[in-house]
Amino acid sequence: MTLVEIRSLTKLFRKGDETVTPLDEVDLDFKEGEFLSLMGPSGTGKSTLLNLIAGIDRPTSGTITVAGTEITRLSRSQLADWRAAHLGYIFQSHNLIPVLTAYENVELPLLLLRMSRGERARRVRFALEVVGLGDRADHYPRQLSGGQEQRVGIARAIVANPTVVVADEPTGSLDARARQQIQELLCRLNDELGTTMLMVTHDTEIAAIAKRQIRLDEGKLSEVSGHVRKLDLASA
Amino acid sequence: MFHFAPYVLKGLWRHRARTFLTVSGSAVAMFVFCFVGAVQDGLESLTQERENALIVFQENRFCPTTSRLPQDYAKAIAAIDGVKDVIPIQVFTNNCRASLDIVVFNGVPAEKLRTARNLTLVSGSWDDFQQRRDGALVGRDVAARRNLKLGGTFAIGEVAVTVAGIFESEVPAEQSLIYTHLEFLQRTSGLDAVGVVTQFEAQLADGVDADSVAATIDEQLHAGPVATVTRRKGAFQASVLADLVSLVSFAHWLGYACVVLVLSLVATTTVMAVQDRVREHAILQTIGLRPARVFRLVIAESTVVCFLGGTAGTGLALLVLTAGGLAIGTEGVALAFRPSLPLGVAGILVSLATGVLAGVTPAWHAARAHIVLSLRH
Repeated sequence: MTLVEIRSLTKLFRKGDETVTPLDEVDLDFKEGEFLSLMGPSGTGKSTLLNLIAGIDRPTSGTITVAGTEITRLSRSQLADWRAAHLGYIFQSHNLIPVLTAYENVELPLLLLRMSRGERARRVRFALEVVGLGDRADHYPRQLSGGQEQRVGIARAIVANPTVVVADEPTGSLDARARQQIQELLCRLNDELGTTMLMVTHDTEIAAIAKRQIRLDEGKLSEVSGHVRKLDLASA
Repeated sequence: MFHFAPYVLKGLWRHRARTFLTVSGSAVAMFVFCFVGAVQDGLESLTQERENALIVFQENRFCPTTSRLPQDYAKAIAAIDGVKDVIPIQVFTNNCRASLDIVVFNGVPAEKLRTARNLTLVSGSWDDFQQRRDGALVGRDVAARRNLKLGGTFAIGEVAVTVAGIFESEVPAEQSLIYTHLEFLQRTSGLDAVGVVTQFEAQLADGVDADSVAATIDEQLHAGPVATVTRRKGAFQASVLADLVSLVSFAHWLGYACVVLVLSLVATTTVMAVQDRVREHAILQTIGLRPARVFRLVIAESTVVCFLGGTAGTGLALLVLTAGGLAIGTEGVALAFRPSLPLGVAGILVSLATGVLAGVTPAWHAARAHIVLSLRH
């Protein structure tokens, strides 16, 4: 079943007198449960596409429909509500709130939903267990390593059981070991929890963990053919 | 909204030095605001006091030591229609000029004092006062200022009294007075006031036109040895305090300036806090906070800071005003700094309103910021 439908999506920027077109009449579909990686050189508009799908930026033209909702038609407040209910966002640099503990950071998206304190606690504990940080709930971001911070960021992204999770270079600021852990975690989320995931990366090795790869170049999307997933839970 | 209270409070705690300085600044400003408010309230209460009472004073005299009216004027005044009672008062003060430590003795016949003034003795007794020739009833504020105790003696110049009681009054200025027997004060060496008094207080019957009675008093006494000028008690006190009234009127601008100071201080701090957290607010919006909620979070932050400062400053001001019994006086009239619950409530409400107002501009910027650009911040 098609979860995300992108039609004729165009985004223009003005840089001085020059007009930059990172996305030019882009069409893309992806299905529920899919793990999609979006590759391309730096500055080609990968993050722009991801931000448009996440509803934190507006296209110049075209439509994005997620689970039947055309998000490009929503107001700012409606988009915020939509993000709270349907979107999980994994940032490149974890972006945790420094004054809140790991537990409180993960709990944040749930505070926006109608949910009892007990249900919130259950979900936060579960999300932290999934990312392997059940014993770090009371730690502040400054007390965690870079990899652990990113795992808390992932727990925050999945805690509300969103329709789609987007990840913007999720391993970009990590060392090799932490990068490996995050890759495994993302695969597990997709395989075990069936989380639909769109990951942006310029690193072909990391992109290879996705089940489907697409490339963005000069504003156009192209499917990477003959792709075989390089890492799965069995190998992990 | 309260779900995000830990975020707001922890954010303030993270920058505790900045928060503490802002709260302190707000507290000092609200302290001054309440102080000015207390002076204004005191003045208002003094000038509106006893609209059914008149003060008869010697014409063209200002300092009480220069007003000398024959005591037998009392009979003539009492005979005028509309006058219910007449109280002769001998005033002695340590300072005719404006002073923060003015001591004012009012010599009044004991029986008239008891009926005409609503005094509540917090220590001592009326009997003791009536039996002692040099007995004095001391207002609570002057007792606090001068550390006067029951049974102790107290002297200013030639006047030496024994404290027979300490009283409270509904009229704040009364608490800065010392009441003695009229005859005792008249016979005090140096005053040479036997048979004369400083002023009369004419108490009027209900429904009487005070101005008309005042005119009649002056007209009837015009033929006497000393001409008089009679005014409503409030107007008399306002006229005596005329110079101070100008100062107090000017001081109320100081009160407004304090509010503006708090506003700019908290607004500056909130702007800095928002600028520090451009990225954080973008993260919150990415998670799903509506712009209006981000707006409210920033407003909550500035309001908490203002509320803390306002409550501390207001509380401290009320404490100092209550414990200190401060008053400023001139020409025998004391203007008490009047702390009150409404003043405290006003101080806290003003700080809350200032907090909301101070947060509006930074909150607007935080709520309207472009999420993607802010994430790159």
